[in-house]
Amino acid sequence: MSGAVDSGQGGKGKGGSQDFDLNLAPIIDSFTVLIAFMLVSASFLSIGILDAGISAAGVAPKSDAPPSVNLTVEVASDHHFTLKLSGKSTANVKLAGKEGKYDLEGLTEKVGGYRKQWTDLNAVTLVSEEAVQYKDVVQVMEALRKNVPVVLLGGF
Amino acid sequence: MGKSFLKKRPALNEEMSLQITSMADIFIIVLVFLLKGYSTGAISVAPSAGLSLPKAVTQDASVEALKVEITETGVQVEGQHVAKLEQFRFEKADLQSSGTSTTLGQAISRQREKQLLIAKSNTDVKVDSKILILADQRAPYSTIKTVLASAAVNGYTDFKLAVVKGD
Repeated sequence: MSGAVDSGQGGKGKGGSQDFDLNLAPIIDSFTVLIAFMLVSASFLSIGILDAGISAAGVAPKSDAPPSVNLTVEVASDHHFTLKLSGKSTANVKLAGKEGKYDLEGLTEKVGGYRKQWTDLNAVTLVSEEAVQYKDVVQVMEALRKNVPVVLLGGF
Repeated sequence: MGKSFLKKRPALNEEMSLQITSMADIFIIVLVFLLKGYSTGAISVAPSAGLSLPKAVTQDASVEALKVEITETGVQVEGQHVAKLEQFRFEKADLQSSGTSTTLGQAISRQREKQLLIAKSNTDVKVDSKILILADQRAPYSTIKTVLASAAVNGYTDFKLAVVKGD
């Protein structure tokens, strides 16, 4: 990198400017230290947040009127779901697992159907068996949130 | 016949200078990229080593709340080890009939009292019911339930579950 500066000796006849090279070595040094520091302290995991209230306490209802139906999804450790609908309509549907895994697509479809039928269904209570892994609970929550905005954790 | 390898090579110029202008350009780009991704929040949501968070598609982590970490060997509140776990499970002696943990409940209660004291002396600070849970994906729901119950009885009812953002 080079540049030109006025020498400030304009009247003495030795030329008005002077070529010089900017010394980049200390700048590179400080950049190396800064980059090393930031690489060490940086977290490359992108963390997100899943909102979860607890049933009957966590989230304030949007309207005073109670919803027409209440939906509870029970997660069993043997990869099946039980959907319990109560209120103006009652149902008790069992969704079996698929190939040893939870049928999350089936759950999304079923809950989507309920949501179309009962438009004021804004919250689902998720109850899980004790042996179910947290990973599976989060996956079920994610599947439920595709159709219902609020997922409440219940069972305690 | 080609050139002989015995032919004398021209002498190398001894005054060789490294062209570092392009290197400086690269460093500036890397630095800007790292600064952009650098978290500036008051609370760092960096999980401890060995903690594997579950994956989910969700929004940004811009929450400031009481941080509780659940690992295979213990529970930490704001980075301090408060309860011992054995393979993600609380010790039986630590569990109460209500489904809460005695030691964890005490630790969360202390944090709540601290928050209440701050709110009392500073009217700008409001008592918050948010709690951020960083739990290992292999943890059984029974442990999560115990932690949530212990938090709920101390006034922390707005649960925020930390996950690794998926696609």
